[in-house]
Amino acid sequence: MTPALEISHLRKVYKSGTVAVEDVSLTIQPGDFFGFLGPNGAGKSTTIHCVTGITNPTSGTIKIFGVDAVADYRNARKLVGLSPQEFNVDPFANARNIVDWMGGYFGMRAAERKRRIDMLIERFDLVQHANKPFRELSGGLKRRVILARAMINDPKLLILDEPTAGVDVELRMDLWRYLQELNRDGTTILLTSHYLEEIERLCRNIAIVNKGRIVRNGPKEEFFTEPGGLERAYLAATGKAAEHAAVAAR
Amino acid sequence: MTINWIGLWTMIRREIQRLARVPIQAVIAPLISALLFIFIFGFVVGGRIKNFGTYSYLEFVLPGVVMMNIVNAAFLQATSQIYFQRFQKSIEEILVSPLSYVEMIAGTISIVILRSVFTALGIMLIGMAFGAVHMHSLPEFLFWVILVSMIFGFLGIIVALWAKTFEQLNVLVVFFIQPLSMVGGVFNTVAMLPPWLRWMAYGNPFFYFINGLRHAMIGFNEAPTAIGLTLTLTLAAVLGTIVWRLYAIGWGLRE
Repeated sequence: MTPALEISHLRKVYKSGTVAVEDVSLTIQPGDFFGFLGPNGAGKSTTIHCVTGITNPTSGTIKIFGVDAVADYRNARKLVGLSPQEFNVDPFANARNIVDWMGGYFGMRAAERKRRIDMLIERFDLVQHANKPFRELSGGLKRRVILARAMINDPKLLILDEPTAGVDVELRMDLWRYLQELNRDGTTILLTSHYLEEIERLCRNIAIVNKGRIVRNGPKEEFFTEPGGLERAYLAATGKAAEHAAVAAR
Repeated sequence: MTINWIGLWTMIRREIQRLARVPIQAVIAPLISALLFIFIFGFVVGGRIKNFGTYSYLEFVLPGVVMMNIVNAAFLQATSQIYFQRFQKSIEEILVSPLSYVEMIAGTISIVILRSVFTALGIMLIGMAFGAVHMHSLPEFLFWVILVSMIFGFLGIIVALWAKTFEQLNVLVVFFIQPLSMVGGVFNTVAMLPPWLRWMAYGNPFFYFINGLRHAMIGFNEAPTAIGLTLTLTLAAVLGTIVWRLYAIGWGLRE
C-alpha cells in the first residue's frame, strides 16, 4: 500500500546555519492517526513546513500518497490540509473570507466552497463570529478558524501542529471527537502536541523527535510496555529522564 | 498542466477586498497627487508656457503624470501585497496551496495591472475635467500601461522578497524611482535640456516609458520607437524571469 506520508532522510539547514532537522525518516500509513512528539525546537514544525511547502528541504525526499512534495508540488499539495501552530492569516479579514480564500486557492468552485464553509462554520461553532475580523476573536475562536481553514479542501492527509494549544477544555474535547470521526472516515492525521494525554488518547502510532532526529518510533502500545507509560518514554527518549528523576527526588 | 483559474481569481478578489479596506491609500491619494500636479504644473505654471506644437503644456504634461502614477501604483501594490503577506505570514496560505509559481506571480501581477489601469483611468478623468485628454492610439496606450505596470510589479516583488524591514521597501522609491521619473521628461522635452545634459534623458528608462505613453495619447514623440520598445520588452522579460526563478528557489519565501 502506498504510504500517506513517506519522509526519507529529511534535512533542513536554515540560512543562518541552524540545523533544524538533522535526519528525519518516517512513514505514515493511510488511515493512521499519527502522533509526532518532541520538545520545543526539536524539529517538528520544520518537518511539517517541509512537507507542506512552507519551507524548502535542504535534502531528503518527501512523498505524499506517492506524490513527490518537491518535484510535483501542485499535486502533492492538493492532498494536504494544514493547521499551523502560528496564526498565519490576514488579521483584518473575517473568518468566512479566510476559509473561503483557502478553498479558492485549492480550485474549489463557489457552490462547493459555500457548502463546505457552512458545514465547517457550523461544526466549529463559529456562526456568531463568521463575519468578525480575525483579530477581534479570542484565542480559542482563532484556533477554530485555522482548523476550519485546514479542512476546507477535505484533505486526505490532515496535519495539525499543536491544534489545541491555548483552547478551552470544551473545544479540545469537541475537536478530539471530530478528529476521531474524520479518521474513522479515512482521513490520515498527523498530530503534534505537547499534551501527552491527547496523543495517548487519539494516536495509534507515535514518533518522538529530538534535536532534529527521530529518537523513537512505533505503535502506541510499545510506549506502554514500560512503567511510567508515554511520559516516561518521552522523557527517556528526549534525554530528560535523569534530570526529572533528580528533581522529583528532592 | 491545467491552469488553476479559480485560485488565480481568488488571489485577485482577495487583494481587491484588502484594497477596499484602505481606499484613501489605494485610490484617493494618487488622484489627489495627480490633481495637484495637473493643477499647478499644467494649469497655473503651464498657462504661462507656450504651446508644444498644437498641444498645450497641460496636454503635454498629463501623460507624464499618468505614467508617474502608474509606476508608483504598480510598485506600491507589489511591495505592499507581498511584504505584508510575508510579515503576517499569510503568504503561507498561498505556499501550501496547489498554485504553481507562475500562477502565484500571475495573480500578483494581474492585481498590479488592475490597480495601475484604475489609477490611470482616474487621472484621465481628472484630465478630462481640464480638457486635456487625447487618445492618439488606444492599443499603444494599453501597451505602455500594461508593460510598465508589469516591470514595476516585478521590481516590487523582488524588493518585497528581499526586504527585512519596512524601511528597505522605500530604498528603490527614494533613490531610483522618484529621481528618475522626475527627470524622465514629465515636465520638459529633451530639446529644452542643454545639449550636454541630453544623455540624462536618453540614458533614463523612464524617459522611454513617458515618451511612449505621450505618443499614445497626443502623438508627440522624441525618442527612437525601436529603442523604447526593445528596452521595455527586454526589461519586462528579464525581470519576469528573475521573479519566476526567485519563486522557484523560494528566495525570501520558503527559506
